[in-house]
Amino acid sequence: MAGEKRTILHLDLDAFYASVEQLDDPALRGRPVIVGGPSNRGVVCAASYEARRFGVRSAMPTSQARRLCPEGVFLNPRFSRYGALSDQVFGVYRRYTPLCEPLSLDEAFLDVTASRALHGDGPSIAARIRREVREETGLTVSAGVAEVKLAAKIATDLGKPDGLTVVPPGGVAAFLAPLAVGKLWGVGGVTEAALRRIGVSTIGDLARLPESAVSAALGADRARGLRALARGEDEREVVPDEAARSVGGEETFEQDLTGEVALARALLLQAGRVGRRLRAARLRGRIVTLKVKYADFTQVTRRVTLEAPTDDDRLIYRTARGLLARIEAGRPVRLAGVTVSGFDEEAEAPPQLDLFGGPADAGLAAPTGARRRQALHAALDKLADKYGERTVAPADLSDRGEAERWPVHRRRDRE
Amino acid sequence: MELKIGSQDLARALGRSQGIVERKSTMPILSHVLLEAKKGNELQISATDLDLSVSSTHTCEVAKEGALAVSAKHLYEIVKALPEQTVTLKRAGNNYLEVKSGPSEFRIVGLPAEDFPALPRFEKLTFVDIDPKSLLDQIERTFFAASNDETRYNLNGVFFEPQGAVLRLVATDGHRLTVSERPLAGDFGLKKGVILPKKGLSELRKLLTEAAEVGEEKSTSQLGFAENSAVFKRPGVILVMRLIEGLFPDYKQVIPKQGEKIIKLGRQRFLETLRRVSLLSSDKSHAVKLELSAGTLRVLSQNPDLGDAREDVPVEYAGEPLKIGFNSRYLTDVVAALKADDVQLELADDLSPGVLKGAGEPDAGYTAVVMPMRI
Repeated sequence: MAGEKRTILHLDLDAFYASVEQLDDPALRGRPVIVGGPSNRGVVCAASYEARRFGVRSAMPTSQARRLCPEGVFLNPRFSRYGALSDQVFGVYRRYTPLCEPLSLDEAFLDVTASRALHGDGPSIAARIRREVREETGLTVSAGVAEVKLAAKIATDLGKPDGLTVVPPGGVAAFLAPLAVGKLWGVGGVTEAALRRIGVSTIGDLARLPESAVSAALGADRARGLRALARGEDEREVVPDEAARSVGGEETFEQDLTGEVALARALLLQAGRVGRRLRAARLRGRIVTLKVKYADFTQVTRRVTLEAPTDDDRLIYRTARGLLARIEAGRPVRLAGVTVSGFDEEAEAPPQLDLFGGPADAGLAAPTGARRRQALHAALDKLADKYGERTVAPADLSDRGEAERWPVHRRRDRE
Repeated sequence: MELKIGSQDLARALGRSQGIVERKSTMPILSHVLLEAKKGNELQISATDLDLSVSSTHTCEVAKEGALAVSAKHLYEIVKALPEQTVTLKRAGNNYLEVKSGPSEFRIVGLPAEDFPALPRFEKLTFVDIDPKSLLDQIERTFFAASNDETRYNLNGVFFEPQGAVLRLVATDGHRLTVSERPLAGDFGLKKGVILPKKGLSELRKLLTEAAEVGEEKSTSQLGFAENSAVFKRPGVILVMRLIEGLFPDYKQVIPKQGEKIIKLGRQRFLETLRRVSLLSSDKSHAVKLELSAGTLRVLSQNPDLGDAREDVPVEYAGEPLKIGFNSRYLTDVVAALKADDVQLELADDLSPGVLKGAGEPDAGYTAVVMPMRI
């Protein structure tokens, strides 16, 4: 591919999680919305632009965000909802090219070099994607167009929110030159300081400096790599979506949990989330992994391989619950996570039929109750999409006491 | 504690503990055996993983009574390698065990006997005399169909269901099922069937094999059930295993009534054909295809990466043709477990279970059900 000019798009949904919350609940629009772990030990996953005005940023501790923005609306993340919308958005991207490399739920690179003949040049493809995403999901996505990944990503950032920034062909080096050197990938505080000592503050400064001077400050390897980036030379290709290798989540608890009963409850919640994400992505995995970080930050993982791949909350939960026996549940646990991996690659293998499905089920190779559980999940997933994640939840996850819970039902009975 | 015992006797006794002790347990004591030198010149050796325990008594010369727990693996390895016919075991200070045989001396770090878990005792059980050979046969022919999937814990064992004068053993992993029925004289007093775990059954097999080999009197091997345990004893040995709690699936509903298509074929030939043809089956699914026509069963395998294989087997069959897929392992497991010269295979259609039986007396009371693969 060397020599041939590519057209790379970088796409980034604006304040994604927060935007989804504002989308789903009109009352939140125009208000500072902060999505993050509910506890004071959690961090901010996303902040709406209204919240950013108060200085709230992603990855900031929730406690700090509360101080900066006391009137903010703090919400728990609903990852399965975000996952579902993300799938929809990526569906739009893939209309224009199969060369789509997701970086996260809300960010992706597209190589549309070969799509230009069909769909027009980079900027017009980016404009169409932006319009289609807005029309079909109600979300805004910012885009950057350039010949290399680095410039496309930086371009997106400059145009945010709801922007489209184009780096014209041949203009990458000129585009980068005035920007602070910290914008380069791999340049953090330490490197930035080292570069400042040799008089480099912009990317252009770095590009102009002889390599030997940079080597002296950073070492030969890094110097070569960074200087090439600074000159707009970024050969990295867009690596299309490798099928997801695992679906999982983890949670840092507000207070350390001790004992199997407390942990089991946390696992039940997570198994439900993982199950929903698996079903949304139409994946079934046969490896269930439990990750536990103790209060002293030592970490263990335990895994088990199932006989057949699954996307069933209950089986994931039971399996993870069983793995608790293999950790020291007596120690205080700071974080726990459940992951499902080992997705079936041999999809074309003739499926083994199950004995206990009855003759009617035999043709569908569904084990006992599996079809009923599938129907149940389909219904619960719909409810969760529409009304929120915990609308219907296992009774074990109810935070409310008996006395509070029952009247709700009685009230509904009278309606 | 101090005693003198034959090295071979001791090695054999320790050998029994090897399948029980946990090598990687979070509780170090569970990798140990408990040695107890008792009055009457007896050495009692016990091993447990808390769910399964075996205790045996051996004649020896006790110089001083006492007890100590030591690493099962290390003591076993040492005793197996001893140079002389006899060995003395002596507890030294600080829970060390001194092992002396001729010129060899070992000192092994042990743990106090008090740290060893108390083993369950069942004094008032109703024991039923069993024929070790018969029970062994029933276990071996059902055992392999039990599930290894930890999440289907109620299938991780063999279902024991005494019914009148018959003892029925059933195992299934959800894809195949084995049933063995044998006459049984005696009443376990069980209200319903119980599930015996695989690990416990493996150890029980060893004890039954020993019993069958020495050809003991029938009445000397006994089996009984307590609330949540199964207890097996023969002179000098007692095994206790915790039963699997859970419901065994309603297996009767999945055993088909006699199928429409009944095929009879030579057992040994069928087994060899399956083994040959499955050499080219996929590693994961082990699928083979059976094409049945009058007088012939064609067995085929196909693997996109490797190639394909086929073989025709003469059969007694005159009905309609049928094509059906199976996991070859499921078939060979059963066919290898049968004893009669001929196998009877009963089929209905390509999505219904196949039934395998031996055509003859040695396989009386044995039935295997195998679910097909979609092809």
